Amino acid sequence: MDILMPQLGETVTEGTVTNWYKQIGDAVRADEALFDVETDKVATEIPCPVSGVLAEVLVQAGQTVKVGTRLAVVSTASDANASPAAAPEAARASAREAAHTATPSVAEHPERGAQAFAHSRAHEQDAAARADARAVAQSTDARPDRERKLSPVVRRLLAEHGLDATAIRGSGRDGRVTRDDVQAHLARQEALGVMEATANARSAVPQVTSPLPPGEGPGVREAGAKPGERVVALNNIRRRSGAAMARAWQVVPHVLQAVEADYSRIEQARRAKQAAWQAREGFELTYLPFLAFAVCQALTRYDQLNARLDADTLIVSRRVHLGIAVDLNHDGLIVPVIRDAQDRNVAALAREIRRLALSARSSKLKPDELSQPTYTISNSGVFGTLITAPIVNPPQVAILSTDGVSKRPVVVESPEGDSIAARPVGVLAQTFDHRAVDGAYSAAFLKELKRIVETRAWIEDIV
Amino acid sequence: MNLRERRKRRDAASAYSTPQEATENDSMTALDQPRPLSAADDDIGREKRLRMFRLLLELRLTEKRAYDLFLQNLVKGTSHLSLGQEAVAAGFALGMRRDDYTFCTYRGHAHTLARGAPMSGVLGELMGRECGVTAGKGGSMHLTSVEHGAMGSYAIVGAHLPVACGAAWSAQYRGTDQVTACFFGDGTTNIGAFHEALNFAAVWKLPVVFVCENNLYMEYTPIGTVTAVEHPAADRAAAYGLARTIVDGNDADAVFRTASAAFARARAGQGPALIEAMTYRHSGHSRADPAQYRPKGELDEWLKRDPIKIYRERLVSLGFPEVDLGAIEADTERRVNEATEAAKASPPPPLTLIEKDLWADGGVAWRN
Amino acid sequence: MAELTYREAVAAGIAQEMARDERVVFLGEDIGAAGGVFKATVGLFERFGPRRVRDTPISEQAIIGAAMGAAMTGLRPIAEIMFSDFFGVCWDMIANEIAKTRYMTNGQISLPLVIRTANGAGSRFGAQHSQSVENWAMAIPGLKVVAPSTPADVKALIAAAVRDPDPVIVFEHKSLYAVKGEVPDGETVDTLGSAKVLHPGKDCTIAALALMVPRALEAAARLQSEHGISCEVIDLRSLVPLDTRTLLASVEKTARLYTVEENPRLCGWGAEIASIVAEEGFWNLDAPICRITTPHIPLPAADRLEDATIPSVDRIVETVRRTMD
Repeated sequence: MDILMPQLGETVTEGTVTNWYKQIGDAVRADEALFDVETDKVATEIPCPVSGVLAEVLVQAGQTVKVGTRLAVVSTASDANASPAAAPEAARASAREAAHTATPSVAEHPERGAQAFAHSRAHEQDAAARADARAVAQSTDARPDRERKLSPVVRRLLAEHGLDATAIRGSGRDGRVTRDDVQAHLARQEALGVMEATANARSAVPQVTSPLPPGEGPGVREAGAKPGERVVALNNIRRRSGAAMARAWQVVPHVLQAVEADYSRIEQARRAKQAAWQAREGFELTYLPFLAFAVCQALTRYDQLNARLDADTLIVSRRVHLGIAVDLNHDGLIVPVIRDAQDRNVAALAREIRRLALSARSSKLKPDELSQPTYTISNSGVFGTLITAPIVNPPQVAILSTDGVSKRPVVVESPEGDSIAARPVGVLAQTFDHRAVDGAYSAAFLKELKRIVETRAWIEDIV
Repeated sequence: MNLRERRKRRDAASAYSTPQEATENDSMTALDQPRPLSAADDDIGREKRLRMFRLLLELRLTEKRAYDLFLQNLVKGTSHLSLGQEAVAAGFALGMRRDDYTFCTYRGHAHTLARGAPMSGVLGELMGRECGVTAGKGGSMHLTSVEHGAMGSYAIVGAHLPVACGAAWSAQYRGTDQVTACFFGDGTTNIGAFHEALNFAAVWKLPVVFVCENNLYMEYTPIGTVTAVEHPAADRAAAYGLARTIVDGNDADAVFRTASAAFARARAGQGPALIEAMTYRHSGHSRADPAQYRPKGELDEWLKRDPIKIYRERLVSLGFPEVDLGAIEADTERRVNEATEAAKASPPPPLTLIEKDLWADGGVAWRN
Repeated sequence: MAELTYREAVAAGIAQEMARDERVVFLGEDIGAAGGVFKATVGLFERFGPRRVRDTPISEQAIIGAAMGAAMTGLRPIAEIMFSDFFGVCWDMIANEIAKTRYMTNGQISLPLVIRTANGAGSRFGAQHSQSVENWAMAIPGLKVVAPSTPADVKALIAAAVRDPDPVIVFEHKSLYAVKGEVPDGETVDTLGSAKVLHPGKDCTIAALALMVPRALEAAARLQSEHGISCEVIDLRSLVPLDTRTLLASVEKTARLYTVEENPRLCGWGAEIASIVAEEGFWNLDAPICRITTPHIPLPAADRLEDATIPSVDRIVETVRRTMD
């Protein structure tokens, strides 16, 4: 089976293979990590779709190729003669054999006998012999601990550039990552216009602890900083998304509209169900899944906002692939996608949002969880913002900001007359691409959204 | 001569009443012969005799003071006193010019002082003070004062004999008539460097005078029990074509006459000399040594021939007024006291000295 | 530019300095009328006469002691110890006296002297006439230590040693005496404590000294052509002072260090270099530092045994190849 470069986002056209977890001849199970891909949006681990043996690697670590390029071939039991279990052992055995025949022996070189004799007493030869023995021993270890073998210069370079050793393919003995490997990796990144790597964005991955003394570690490189200033290196995701944002800002005619919505009914549902929900699900029920549900509902009526702009046409989607912007501990933003959100109820949306956020923070998002949202929610509400004007991410045509919800005095109309009540209120702000729709259309969408938020019997949506 | 006979002769020598070797002497100057005591203005003269007396006292009192300071725990480490051997240092020093070179051993306090190094510099060095002649970097065994011609005290037995050859070679090459005096103990005569240096100096006819201070003990062991000949230095002179010369090392005048003759020959380009001066160490080898290996009564016999005592008696018999001698004694005592106070008042050397003066650029760097 | 043998360059260096400075005198065994047992001092006796070029008895202590005494009293002597193994009989003079005198006397005495000696193996002389003892000298504070590998270097480093105000030991290599090389015409003076990068490279640094330098260069050429490994070869030339800057800069570039040492393993000069690089260049290292040395044994005499004992081109190539990963 061919392994292809996945499309990790609708705007992504290419990706860089940064690491192969398997070598040719290794057995691999379905869903076991096979390689790492890095794009302008994300660095992620790609699992193997099938069980089998890695038969061919067509794109080496460090290479950047177009989406859809064949990266490797995994031979499965059905298309290989050798059994998957036997193949890797055979491959290792032949590798060992090759290594041994490459070592000159006294028997093969009788004229060097005396020298070989002297060698056996010389320490450097002992060291080399020990290294060979180690190599053989480790080649039979299913999980060579590559971290343990990082040399000082490699540790320093990893720390300085915020890299993760597992993201770099090692060309040294037993796959050890050498200095040249790191430098080649950095050179490739530089060629991509990326000076800093993604390790900072992958906050759930254990970082390489800086082995440097205080004052020499990453983050304190003060080149270019004046006294009292501090240099913060931009990570890969921020650099790339920043470039995309700048392009969008230049190209898209942005219009912002906002409505104030009364969250009383959602709040009522949350208050009533929170304890049971937490006990059952293990996490807090936030406003976001309710809003996501409301957005899906509203988009089914105002579907031109659930669309992409393609030259002179607007391609409207019947399905809502809802992007939820997730903050990575202030180290970047990632937008996992809820596929077919229109088919999910509030509880399902809540679970999916939770799962995607966790995956995003641990770099475990699958390609299709990142690709091609049709509409995006940016949720700054947890920080109590009043209003946010988000930037549209083309080819999408709109984006909604859900801002902070707080209790405010609200005039409540009733048959008995008006009264003032304290109600949880928040702003819902949508930015849209004026090339795609007009203000009235967007305003109608917001009105519908507000209506759903304020009037739906949300308490019935949660069991 | 068997060992027993040798020991007997040594014992006789230690009593040292008659110059028994005089008759077999083939050298320029024999053991001191009795001289007429009527005239103070003989070949040495009044002025030099008073300088000699003063110098003998300086050496004696400074060494005694060093011992006192050791008892007060102000002198640290080891120190090798030459109490009783002052006449050798004084007699040779008085025969030297200011630009001549002295090389001596770890028992070198007296030789360094005799060339003119300040008492406070010597005592200060023993006490590890900044005012010491090497500011505390050398210590008791490495007293050096180049400006006074004291070219170093050498603590590895025998090492300085070849070095003295080099200084003499240098004088010879440069065409000066400087001489080099090289002092060492009887124990040195059994080490290789002694023989290498003697041969080397003789072959190159170097202006160097080797002086063996035979105080009868190498460290703790009597030299006679470990040496093939009776006189460890003099009996070997013939091997290097040199005269066999023995002098009473406790008679400063005799030492001075012997030294002067040897220096004159050396300055005249007639080559080296090897002189064995018979003397006795009143104290042990070093401050750690109570010298209990010495036969009972031996020290008492030698104290009768204390070089200071016999020199004072000689001056009195030559008609020097007692009051003058007393004044010199008082003055020397005062100067030693002043030097002691100066050394005590001197601070310990600064720690910056540790990384100073390994190289001629003043530093200690071994890398860039 | 003239082509001289290493031994001719030694004599040329001494002659240059004796002609320049009347204070320079030269002493040693068989150095004068005989021209030296290695013929490295031919012509000096005839040119400068017996007053300045002096044959000595077989008395190493006297030779070194005399040089010391002369140096402290105004001369600039050059003393020859025929074989560096004989340092054993005058080590007190070198290690206890010469090395320490300036320090012990608080700078009162300077010793501007040179001790030249024939060092190293390759002549099948056995264990007492073949040693590489530059690491002995390096271990004593107060001695400068150089070991030139080419005719041009030996001439100009001897000149630098003679002009240096401190004691300098010049280790000439017996097996290099016959080697020819270009030596610049006229007066040449080098600088003590400067290493030379003789062959630039990027994959590893090979630090070598004396006879090991041409072997390291040949190994580097083979490693490049046969294995595609690019080696930077550094001729240290001087152990004290030690040019650590050149060394550390090279390791910063290559990330790997090999030393090729003729001295026996324990406490060889490479151990100090490895220690410095491990301490100060640690974060530039991509592999353990590897020392290629003579085993820790006395030297055997038979050519077959001796050749297999001293680091050879084959051994350097093989060791580097096996440990580059």
